[in-house]
Amino acid sequence: MKDSAINDDRIQRALDGLLSPEEHDALKADVIRDAELRAAYVDQMWLHSTLRAERETLVELLGEAPVAEDKVVRRWPVAIWAAAAAACLTLAASVWTFGKGTIFRHPVATLVQADNCKWAGSDLPTAVNSKLGIGKLALVEGIATLKFQSGAMVTMEAPTTLEILTAMHCRLIEGTLTAEVPEPAHGFTIDTPDIKVVDLGTKFGVTASSTGNSQVRVFEGEVEIGGLPDGKMKRLTEGKGLHVGSATPALGQEPTRGQQVQEAGGWTAIPTSFGRGKDACARRGDRGAPLGSQALIIVKHSDIEAGRDNERRAVISFDVSQVATAKVLEAQIVLDPEPSGFGFATLVPDESRFAVYGLTDEALDAWDEKEVRWASLPGCSDKGPNPNQVRKLAEFWIPRGGSGGPLTVRSEALAEFIHQDTDGLVSFLIVRETGETDSNGLAHGFSSKEHPTARPPTLRLK
Amino acid sequence: MDSMPPDSAENTEAYLRLLTQHDRWLATYVYSLVSRPADADDILQEVKVTMWKHFASFEAGSNFRAWARKIATNQILNYRRSEQRRPGSTLDDEFIEIVAAEIDRCADTLDRKADALKICLRKLPEAHRKIVVWRYYEDCGVEEIAAKSERTVEAVYRLLSRIRQVLNDCVSRQLSPAPVS
Repeated sequence: MKDSAINDDRIQRALDGLLSPEEHDALKADVIRDAELRAAYVDQMWLHSTLRAERETLVELLGEAPVAEDKVVRRWPVAIWAAAAAACLTLAASVWTFGKGTIFRHPVATLVQADNCKWAGSDLPTAVNSKLGIGKLALVEGIATLKFQSGAMVTMEAPTTLEILTAMHCRLIEGTLTAEVPEPAHGFTIDTPDIKVVDLGTKFGVTASSTGNSQVRVFEGEVEIGGLPDGKMKRLTEGKGLHVGSATPALGQEPTRGQQVQEAGGWTAIPTSFGRGKDACARRGDRGAPLGSQALIIVKHSDIEAGRDNERRAVISFDVSQVATAKVLEAQIVLDPEPSGFGFATLVPDESRFAVYGLTDEALDAWDEKEVRWASLPGCSDKGPNPNQVRKLAEFWIPRGGSGGPLTVRSEALAEFIHQDTDGLVSFLIVRETGETDSNGLAHGFSSKEHPTARPPTLRLK
Repeated sequence: MDSMPPDSAENTEAYLRLLTQHDRWLATYVYSLVSRPADADDILQEVKVTMWKHFASFEAGSNFRAWARKIATNQILNYRRSEQRRPGSTLDDEFIEIVAAEIDRCADTLDRKADALKICLRKLPEAHRKIVVWRYYEDCGVEEIAAKSERTVEAVYRLLSRIRQVLNDCVSRQLSPAPVS
């Protein structure tokens, strides 16, 4: 807490007139920039000015013997300003009018937009155009935009919990948000469990989990990062990012082998965790590869040059050896979207479109989950799905802000594809077809069979 | 437009009641936004005079603080313009705006703190009380107190700083819901 001690010292010196004009200006600049310092400044100023304003009563109050315990204290004696006011009666009036007094209930922000939103455990109103004071907002589904009175716009992407502290300060408890901060609100600050992000005139995004592991990405302008383990402040400029905390996303657990389940209505559910089933994704450039044992399979497409290396595709295989595939009438693939922690939904279109391709070349079913890389991802070349090896079976859409639960992909072509299986294993390539408006757009995640809680990709047949 | 000062006893009383109620807030507002204490005193005085002159334009029942804030901000900006210490600087405007917003934000807390401060002042030991009286009642500067108490300026500053810290901490404790026997 060395920093705040130094700051306190400056505030205290300012109160006693011990700062040079230069130092005073520097303090002012810091008060503008740093919300915490600003709060301390106002606190100290309040004490100082109250003591000054009530000087007449100080002697009386302090003339009494010290009290050890709290007592009921009478109110401050009234009005030393009566004399001044009376004197004013004789002053000539000048021409000056004032508007009506405005409401003074300290709203700090307004909820200006809410798309597909569901809220939980929020102690603030969640209707659009609600005025928000200090408090917590928990967004379970959807995308919501807040406009702070300072002018800062903050967009929350579910699942996200945010605490509003002041018009210049909020705390990201967990989740993802993007912020766009106009000039009067420079200095707008976002705390995460492990860092502090101070805007210096920007558009930027922040993600954090409740245990930290924060990521910051600057789309435009500049931000300053505080609270880093080395105690230093760090500046991030346009296009730069920073990741604090564990370097790799948590690995999934070794999955328990799943069961093929008979469901009501004649459906049979086959998860990727059953039999020879498998799921994986690969990323162009193979950073962090192989990704076959991650808790998520992640899919992303970008037409932007800077986003090229973030392209990700997924492949999933189901063991259908225990099913009479020739008798299948209907088929569905169920995917459970999970936040990937990569990218920002604000930067992808209102709806993202995905495609599911079936691997028609059965030799490709033998792909190795432990070893799969970009080049060995079955059924596609670097450019995309290879029409000689795959067939497009279905498309699905995910609205920005999430679909709010598992997605079911179904088509006649999918059932027909299952019919044609001969080796007891069916494989699908999943790609995103829509791009992004910025290379930091959202990467869509789906739980894999390694996910500790969510359900793995599942093939349902009837 | 006419803005004669109110002349009835009733108006005077209404004005004084409102002013008394919001006096500490107004002082905090002006002192926080104006660096030099002497200037702050003048401005505060000027704000109160102006408010009185224009009290007729204040609608009974509407928000006194919002109204007072407008007058105070005008006075501060006028003072700044007439002083023209550093022409072209936007820092002060920004500072005033942002700190004013912060005061608005915690106005309710500050109000609740006032009574707690009285309790805390009465807990101060004798030696500290004297310093507080010198500094705030007699309006002595740090140098004067140093001379009076035969301390160095730095020592007086440190002592004052500590007293204010103790008072602030005490006030925060009073406000937090602590068990009271």
